[in-house]
Amino acid sequence: MRNSLIGLLVFIALAITPLFVGQYWTGQLTNYLVYGLLAISLSLVWGYGGILCFGQAMFFGIGGYIMAVFTKGMIYPDLTSSYLGLLAAMAGSAMFALALGYFLFAGRGISGAYLAIITLAIALVLERLMNNWYALGGYNGLLNVPPLKLVAFGLSYELWDRLPTFYIILGIVAVVYFGVTFLVSTPYGLLLTAIRTHPDRLSSLGYSVLNLRLSVFSLSAAIAGLAGALFVTLDGFVSPTLIGFTLSTEALIWVAIGGKEMLLAAFLGAIFTRTAESWLSEIFGDYWILILGVVFMISVVLLPRGLLATPIEKLMRRRKKK
Amino acid sequence: MSELIPIILDASSYILILVLVALGLMIVFGMMGVINMAHGELFMIGAYVMVLAQDLGLPFLAGVLLAPVVVAFFGLLIETALIRHIYHRPLDTILATWGLSIALKQLVVLTFGPESHSVTLPIDGSLEMGAFSYPVYRLVLMLASILLICGTFWLFTRTDFGLMARAVIARPATASALGIDTRRLYRWSFVIGTALAGLAGALVAPIISVDPQMGLGYLVPGFLSILVGGAGPLAGVLAGGAVIGGVNNLLSVWISPVAALITVYIIAILIIRLKPEGLLGGRRAK
Amino acid sequence: MLELQNLSSGYGDALVLRDFSCRFENGQVTALMGRNGMGKTTLLKTIMGLIKAKSGSVMFNGQALEKSPPHLISRAGIGYVPQGREIFEDFSVQENLRLGLLGHDPNTALPLDRIYDWFPILKERADQRAGTFSGGQQQILAIARALIGGPKMLLLDEPTEGIQPSIVHDIGLQLARIARETGLGILIVEQNVDMVRTLANQVLFMENGEIRESCDIEVVRRNDALLHRYLSV
Repeated sequence: MRNSLIGLLVFIALAITPLFVGQYWTGQLTNYLVYGLLAISLSLVWGYGGILCFGQAMFFGIGGYIMAVFTKGMIYPDLTSSYLGLLAAMAGSAMFALALGYFLFAGRGISGAYLAIITLAIALVLERLMNNWYALGGYNGLLNVPPLKLVAFGLSYELWDRLPTFYIILGIVAVVYFGVTFLVSTPYGLLLTAIRTHPDRLSSLGYSVLNLRLSVFSLSAAIAGLAGALFVTLDGFVSPTLIGFTLSTEALIWVAIGGKEMLLAAFLGAIFTRTAESWLSEIFGDYWILILGVVFMISVVLLPRGLLATPIEKLMRRRKKK
Repeated sequence: MSELIPIILDASSYILILVLVALGLMIVFGMMGVINMAHGELFMIGAYVMVLAQDLGLPFLAGVLLAPVVVAFFGLLIETALIRHIYHRPLDTILATWGLSIALKQLVVLTFGPESHSVTLPIDGSLEMGAFSYPVYRLVLMLASILLICGTFWLFTRTDFGLMARAVIARPATASALGIDTRRLYRWSFVIGTALAGLAGALVAPIISVDPQMGLGYLVPGFLSILVGGAGPLAGVLAGGAVIGGVNNLLSVWISPVAALITVYIIAILIIRLKPEGLLGGRRAK
Repeated sequence: MLELQNLSSGYGDALVLRDFSCRFENGQVTALMGRNGMGKTTLLKTIMGLIKAKSGSVMFNGQALEKSPPHLISRAGIGYVPQGREIFEDFSVQENLRLGLLGHDPNTALPLDRIYDWFPILKERADQRAGTFSGGQQQILAIARALIGGPKMLLLDEPTEGIQPSIVHDIGLQLARIARETGLGILIVEQNVDMVRTLANQVLFMENGEIRESCDIEVVRRNDALLHRYLSV
């Protein structure tokens, strides 16, 4: 309960932010919210599911491409509904994750460091593939992806303006965040903890470790796919960089700096890191990346639970004592 | 036949460099279970030492000698400041060394600029043999790589240092109870691994374009070579390097570099998945 | 003299040893007996630094060791033969022995010939891969590997586990002889009564992380009551 209270406060704070910042920053913040969604997906699979995925952006990118292909009418010209696109993006990413997960985890599955290297290699392969898939725009990607189009009760509204877009995205992110927060508080969350710490004991208790891994892997992929789909409607284009290695590792940094075992910390990790990047890269120029690398390194060594999760946990514990 | 020889020679020289890079990775991974994601950047620094040496007007050989020393110094620093604090958390080493790799890359961008540099070939001519000709430096490079690989094997299989290192890999607690200082072995093995990466970078600098992003192009194939070959015996890295490097190089010539890379990665992933202990056996990740 | 004072140790949060105190004189051969799970192996590992002591002290001939890493404890003169022998199966016999030597000062280490005198089988099979040895031979190798560093005190953890009785007796006699000849102190954790009777001067009975009884070997030789009580044999 207290957990969600802090979450609620964070989302309220985010909701009133546009009152204090200009159009430009509202637009930026909308993007960061979507990155935050990607961070939530990675936190779920890595921090809760114990699967260190070095290529989380592949699901983001797949979602993005599916959304673009759908809403541009490349599949079927009359079927360009945003809703369908979002659904297809989530389903497509989840199915890909299911197939990939089955390949990786079935039998004597791959885990730990090996998994990190393999997912990294897969992300690289997909990025190369998209760079050379000319029907999907190749290196340049697909341009002119339409914005989200909300259709309800016979009315339709295209999200061109920044403020409504911000609130719609915030709403979606909030629903996902609280949904996943609820999910990990159910017995399913307990099973995930067990799978992370003692997979062999869990299987001797009659649970299928494979099914659990697949479920969390696919769910996380669906969320990442949703994030990717939303992202392309904001930016208006999709390109191989969304699927690849760079975004994957960036997401990893946000989540690690924030705190992988806490959804809120991972989410804020993405938003803070991106905000800091926009600000500090103006001040420090090229030194910013150097600083980010060093901060990342230090936070992994000294605060393995996360730079943000550590103080948030303290805050919660103090509230509990009262 | 004569068209084939240069292709095979190219493939062999790529394999040898890959093995050289992978050997350093493997020593660190095999001994400490540490995945050093910054290994590619240490390789890169080796190449940049050559660039610097050239700018300063130093002879080529001076650069070749300087590079491993400089990179080993970096290695010592990294081991002391970073690795030794987290070597009991193997997954965190991946993240921390990834941060290090970002920082090192950017440090090079800030110092040398983002553009690529080139190092002039120290030996110009080509070896003419009947219908085919082949650059002499590439042959020298292959010879040097073979010597270095043999040297590393000798160090780990024929010397007291190697005996202790293998003992620490097999049974770390028992080795330490016999009076062997495992931390010191970890440290020097790490330094040797980094020095090898630096030397490899220096040696290949004249035949590639030296830029801040070059590390990744060797890091991932290097890791795949280890995993494909098997992280147990040192020879595993030879088998893995031959598969990864050979297939990559030959397919690049016959189809296209992109198709080659994709095919190689997929083959590697399949082998790792179906035979997790690697082609030559050995142990799995901790 | 090895002196343990108020030693507490265990795995994670669970303490196996609590305020354990004990003294082992130089040249004394002490057997530590007790049922499984009573903390005997934990005690040896804690002395060796393989498990960090939570509190308390380990003094060996005036040197505080409780905070030292294992290799320094080994160099301070405590040899260790772990449970299950833990020889390096892929290495030759000679390489196994060399590993026992490399971490030690060559001046205090024993010459290889001395080891070969005590255990001739190791000389005969110096180049054989240790993994091909029988259990008993592996045990001999593990003991020799610990002795070659020239320890003043040897810790043995269940050396007779899984070894045929005839070899157990031989190992016991040989160790007793070495202790007599060189003044080596031995602390042996053992369940095998024959081994204890052959080798030890003194027996400690351990229960729930504490010493319950300490007596001369003659007492154990004369009556089995103590053995029955603490080992239920």
